[in-house]
Amino acid sequence: MPGWLDIAVRSIIFVVVLFLITKWLGKKQISELSFFEYVNGITIGSIGAEVAMGLERNIFHGIIGIVVFAAIPFLAGLLSLKNKKFRDLVEGKGSVFIKDGKIMEDNLKKERYTTDELLELLRRKDVFQVADVEFAVLEPTGDLSVMLKKENQPLTAKDLNLIVPSVKEPQTVIMDGEVMDEPLATIGRSRDWLHTELEKLGVTIENVFLGQVNSYGELTVDLFDDKLQVASPQERPLILSTLKKCQADLELFALGTESTEAKQMYTKNSEKLQEAIDKVSSILKG
Amino acid sequence: MTIASDLKQSLASLKSMEAALSTIALRTENIESKRTLHETMMVVHEVVTELKNRVGELEREEFQYKGF
Repeated sequence: MPGWLDIAVRSIIFVVVLFLITKWLGKKQISELSFFEYVNGITIGSIGAEVAMGLERNIFHGIIGIVVFAAIPFLAGLLSLKNKKFRDLVEGKGSVFIKDGKIMEDNLKKERYTTDELLELLRRKDVFQVADVEFAVLEPTGDLSVMLKKENQPLTAKDLNLIVPSVKEPQTVIMDGEVMDEPLATIGRSRDWLHTELEKLGVTIENVFLGQVNSYGELTVDLFDDKLQVASPQERPLILSTLKKCQADLELFALGTESTEAKQMYTKNSEKLQEAIDKVSSILKG
Repeated sequence: MTIASDLKQSLASLKSMEAALSTIALRTENIESKRTLHETMMVVHEVVTELKNRVGELEREEFQYKGF
């Protein structure tokens, strides 16, 4: 076999082997959560490259090397699932850099991080002032996780005592003008339903680049033809405004009528409707 | 426009809202939102029933308003 053909064959074999090995080891190896996985990833890659190019080397020795290097972190992963002490040893523990708003100088020294490096890690988390930080820990991967003091944390609906309806994830039902049957079945809709909704919007399916259905069963689309304007779903805001109008009408009737009985009935119902509107408006606002 | 016809108009739009709320409640995936929408529909239904009674009363009192 000529040298160039040999290299081609070896390369193809190792691409396949590396693909299978990384599939087997899973996502953890790719994200390199621990020092162990980091080193292993590099070594497996080097062995693959070395054997693919070095014609004097035996392919099977290379494959054995790769399998061994892959098997050890795999076994270590299984063991560390069971045992906390082993896990701490293999995957490492985080070290606390800032606690109660105070920098732990000893831990910084232990991990050999300079003040500049700490500031850099904090800046990556959009923190420019150490005084804003309540707690920060250096993860085994080398990332810094930062918890800000409560007053510096972003405002949430909970802080404002806002009631917000929880929503489910939207489902993508059209991609590149093709209907995706599986997500459509997940939300319990049929192709017929989709075609009706598209007709309501006045677009053909071939023109739809992306279509998603939200938690309220409303279809939103993006078209290939960007000059066309598509209406956003108006049904919920429309219901809310009609309900409000009806409530105002009831109040008007209450003012207009001369019979006390009817006045009472109108007032009672307008109050009842108002209460219902207050409750449902967070959902209907859209 | 008389009060009776105004009332009938409101009654009609409330009825349509009852139906629309019911449709949305059926389509909504989230259980809690579904329940809130359904409860609102029930309230609207109660209001509709009482308004219907009032329309009946008006029609009995003033016969010329009789219609739908």
